Amino acid sequence: MTCDEARLLIGADPGASTPELEEHLARCAACARFRDEMRSVDADIRRALERPPDIARPRSGRQPRAWRQWALAASVVLATFAVLGVWLLRPSDSLAREVVAHVQREPESWLATQHLSTQDITQALRGAGVALDITSDRIMYAQSCWFRGHYVPHLVIQTARGPATVLILRHEQLRARRSFHEAGMTGVIVPAEHGSIAVLARGAADHLDDIAGQMRHDVHWLPDAR
Amino acid sequence: MRNSEPGSPVSSIDGRLPAADAGAPITRLFESMRPDLLRFAHWLARDRAIAEDIVQEALLRAWRSRDALKDLSAARPWLLTIVRREHARLYERKRLELVSLDEVVETQASTGFMEPGGELFALRHAIMRLPIEYREPLVLQVLGGFSTEEIARELALSATAVLTRLFRARNKLRVICGLTPAADLAARDNQP
Repeated sequence: MTCDEARLLIGADPGASTPELEEHLARCAACARFRDEMRSVDADIRRALERPPDIARPRSGRQPRAWRQWALAASVVLATFAVLGVWLLRPSDSLAREVVAHVQREPESWLATQHLSTQDITQALRGAGVALDITSDRIMYAQSCWFRGHYVPHLVIQTARGPATVLILRHEQLRARRSFHEAGMTGVIVPAEHGSIAVLARGAADHLDDIAGQMRHDVHWLPDAR
Repeated sequence: MRNSEPGSPVSSIDGRLPAADAGAPITRLFESMRPDLLRFAHWLARDRAIAEDIVQEALLRAWRSRDALKDLSAARPWLLTIVRREHARLYERKRLELVSLDEVVETQASTGFMEPGGELFALRHAIMRLPIEYREPLVLQVLGGFSTEEIARELALSATAVLTRLFRARNKLRVICGLTPAADLAARDNQP
């Protein structure tokens, strides 16, 4: 059995085991590692398939009746109060949830492969009250994003262990480091000189504190920022 | 075709049966499998309401053909096959309006949608986004427990083509799990 044949079989059914495959894996560490990875992925797939996302078909072409419009208006008012209440009483981990939700809304950020120009990065930092020491050839994605009432730099940095997302949160004060694992992402948010810095990676990751520590060195907080 | 109430049992079948049949073992067996069938149909149809319609029709079809089920222990794959065919039939017959997952996901995200304990959120949506030719064999294999040969027979494909589709489906999902995609081995051999 060749490596190609073994990988096709493993990718198609990571739980499969045949004498030929086992013999190949016994002498091919790369394919054995590939099977370990695919079995891990498959375990996640099985867990994911246990419950479909509750996606409802968008309704269209239906005229709302008057009482529905009133009900909708009342719902909007109630929802506004509810959102306001939740915002005012938000628990301490809501920052992490909102960071994850924000990154989820920009899935293309993980896929960026082109290096950015200094101008792109400057544009992303505009209005955020920070400057960066980091070299532009490590930054694959840079956007100025609206987050919790402020524009914050949203960066994706290439590391030796894959891309990592960094959000520089000048207006979010933290007392202590916070870590989280949600929606297939692992992250940390660490206090910084002014505000905090969030770092996320897809899947399990144990190198985020290193990146966060490096970012604390590389980020300069401008004194005249509001 | 109409939608049944979410979460209703196969009682809609019961309602159409003579009282004596409603409590029959085979009806109870079908009822017990409804959640599995609904989940399976939901992954195929990508829409809860359509999935309920599919399961409803499939169960009625199965009940009418219940004499063909000789071995009750084979009921699950038998019913899953009927659900799959009902989905294919519905799809061909009605040319279902496509659900824009991008739009739906974006809507959910923009309203702060977050599953409770949603670590698998991205993976679930990535599976939903898989083209049907990859999603269908994956769901048949993982949820249905079908072998490669059984999937090949059901989808009228060669076993190699099924292996290729399963490989590609998982390869796309690898990326969501933070791994680099493997080389598409099948592409080298021009597999479909």
